Amino acid sequence: MKSVPAFLIIFLFTITHALADDWPRWRGPNLDGISTDSSWRAEWPDSDPPLVWKTNVGTGLSGISIANNKVYTIGNNDNTDTVFCLNADTGKEIWTHSYPAALDPKYYEGGPGSTPTVDGDTVFTIGREGQVFSLNAESGEVNWSMNLVADAGLPAPGWGFNGSPLVLDDRLFLNAGTAGVALDKSSGAVIWKSDAEEAGYSSPYPLDRDGKTQLLVSSSRSYSGVDPETGAAAWTFPWLTRYGVNAADPVPIDSNTLFISSGYGKGAALIRLTGTAPEEAWKSKEMGNQMNPCLLIDGYLYGVNGNEDGDPEYKCLAPKTGDILWSDDSTGASGAIAANGYLIILGERGELIIAPASPDEFDPITRIQVLGGKSWTAPSLANGRVYCRNIKGDLVCVDLR
Amino acid sequence: MNRRRFIKSTSAATAGLGLSTAPFILAQKAPFQYRVALIGSGWWGMNILRVALETGRCKAVALCDVDADALEISAEEVNDLAGTKPNTYPDFRELFANEEIDIAIIATPDHWHALPAIEAINAGAHVFLEKPTGHTIRESRSILNAARAADRKVQVGLHRRIGPHHVSGMDFLRSGKVGDIGMVRSFVFNGGGEELPSPNSEPPNSLDWEFYCGPAPLRPFNRKIHPGGFRNFLDFANGTLGDWGIHWLDQVLWWTDEKYPKSVYSTGGRPVKGPAILNDKEQTSDAPDSQVAVFEFESFTATWEHRRFAQNPTEKHKVGTYFYGSNGIFHMGWRDGWTFYPADQKKQIIHEDPNFDDEKAGHNIPGLWTDFFDAIENDRLPVADIEPAHLSTNLSLLGMLSLKHGKSVAWDGSSESIIGDDAANALLQRTYRGPWEYPVI
Repeated sequence: MKSVPAFLIIFLFTITHALADDWPRWRGPNLDGISTDSSWRAEWPDSDPPLVWKTNVGTGLSGISIANNKVYTIGNNDNTDTVFCLNADTGKEIWTHSYPAALDPKYYEGGPGSTPTVDGDTVFTIGREGQVFSLNAESGEVNWSMNLVADAGLPAPGWGFNGSPLVLDDRLFLNAGTAGVALDKSSGAVIWKSDAEEAGYSSPYPLDRDGKTQLLVSSSRSYSGVDPETGAAAWTFPWLTRYGVNAADPVPIDSNTLFISSGYGKGAALIRLTGTAPEEAWKSKEMGNQMNPCLLIDGYLYGVNGNEDGDPEYKCLAPKTGDILWSDDSTGASGAIAANGYLIILGERGELIIAPASPDEFDPITRIQVLGGKSWTAPSLANGRVYCRNIKGDLVCVDLR
Repeated sequence: MNRRRFIKSTSAATAGLGLSTAPFILAQKAPFQYRVALIGSGWWGMNILRVALETGRCKAVALCDVDADALEISAEEVNDLAGTKPNTYPDFRELFANEEIDIAIIATPDHWHALPAIEAINAGAHVFLEKPTGHTIRESRSILNAARAADRKVQVGLHRRIGPHHVSGMDFLRSGKVGDIGMVRSFVFNGGGEELPSPNSEPPNSLDWEFYCGPAPLRPFNRKIHPGGFRNFLDFANGTLGDWGIHWLDQVLWWTDEKYPKSVYSTGGRPVKGPAILNDKEQTSDAPDSQVAVFEFESFTATWEHRRFAQNPTEKHKVGTYFYGSNGIFHMGWRDGWTFYPADQKKQIIHEDPNFDDEKAGHNIPGLWTDFFDAIENDRLPVADIEPAHLSTNLSLLGMLSLKHGKSVAWDGSSESIIGDDAANALLQRTYRGPWEYPVI
């Protein structure tokens, strides 16, 4: 320590304080669903881990973001969306921000589907009708707001906007139109937008290709790779599903190879981006991700195959060949993240399932009932605590340390 | 134009020739397959086609849909299943003009049943028609008359006519063990609440919305309607009575020797969902959230009841038909099979479980297909023939007619007209939006 210059100590402290093992957005710090947190333990042979707090945030599928000891998520009550900022230690409300939004329960309970994105002292949110907000992360004060339908002329897809915001440098990217929209993150002004057709439900993902970023965005009919500077699509891969639902984020296997997957009987494909147009390496009906994307861990994919109403199975897939290595029917339409080589799955029926991520077998070492009702939202892990919600909005914080 | 193929003789000739003249060639020839077209390649239409392909006796040669994306995804699915990609058409008239079709599946929304079905029959095809047979009574009658005139078979998707527990339950009912049956009650109850309007939007680029509306009034596009929501919009379908009601009212007509009721009265509305909204900004559905219909027959009274709120926690059976007899109550159900509750409570309850081909979806479509092939090949009527299906559809449609008309109607089943009520008779058909012409056959 003695030899480290003072300014660097301050710098390191700031970084540590801000990022430590936070989970500041959909799919976590590295957008891969994998937490860097190692301060938790997977095995609970003698007693269940303690429930730290429990609250209700209203109906929805919105995920949980954690930054600077604050918890952010969205829910709907009485046709009103509320963005919640809670104290991570107590679950007590620090601030809320509400706006009118139809519950819109079309074939499910309804409510918001996107996850708040924390970027420094700002939190960005989007509602299903295209209500975009930049909020002060400390106070909830509105920096600016805009509406993708009214202000950018981009139509809401059938189930509304469900992708989460992505911040890159000074821009905010959202999945809207054929291949996304870019806003100035300080003003909400539209920098570029794609054609006014129905978006998919995945979140924009920044793929690093030879040092240059390409945004991966789904529409209701395709996946595209877009230049974040201009919005120009470098490539578009047609991907039709029965109800125009491309919800799972594409998962890069490497910088030139993408795994894409949809539910409704569609299945998955591995596509290569090396040629002039994307090429399909293989296609399979055995891994159709209706909602949550697969996790890529040590070269293997883990995720839910099948629709929520069609006996979904949790599976492991080898991306080189598309072969299924194992399959388990105990999780339902679950959401999952990973940390320390473990899958942390929130089962559809509210069971927290922890299992080593292994291509050999699915052998959970922990199963704890943390929620009642039905959950489709992936849990979040931050600083030794896991956060789980169900669709009707019960949110629990469980200490895994 | 009539492109009918001589199916029976073709298959017989293939078998005969194969043995006597050129076995080395014909042995490699694929067995006879029906050339099938699907009109309306959405979720349910694809379920019917998938089962047809699984029998191994059908080749999907052409698909038609006004949603280009539904068409493409369905063609891809057929390719995945059968290894050949069917031809795709946005317009059924073009399909029948270009393709030689043995069997056409009609799985469009109800308002688009009659014209494609009649076009198919006139092109020489047999028809697998989704229920209800028509959107209005005279459309349904026209399909029946067209089929009879052209000697084409029409199997209607009333799979409860062939489901094993329905067949054995009917035997039980007819055995006399239930006694004299004087009252019948069919019902389905679900949960639900107030319906909020959804904003209208531009139709998706892939959808020909004008063609979708077709003979029905053109209205603003709304996500509530397509895909999959048309059943609750009365321009395109007939609500729960036209969707679920026909299955259970068909059980009533299957049981009784009577062919039609003497009078029909229905009441209902949207007390919980709220008033129907349709304006240039937004819309709700407009089908009733609750409805009661009373069908007066010579020897018994049948009722229909549905509710799309409050669920059904007080009743053991959630859906189906009760037959009330002097010896007890017989319940024909769905996943709960059938059950007879003797009036004499010292006697044993008798029950049979269902046996579905598709356990998850709870239906017996494969049986409808094998029966259909047999009916075509042996020139007999299929088990869910268009005539009884038409009569069952009439029960649903007369219930809706009475509800819209606001009074009871006296039904002359022999002439299919309403006695002494011109305004009610006018509702047996509808005015088609041009250029489509209401079929009168």
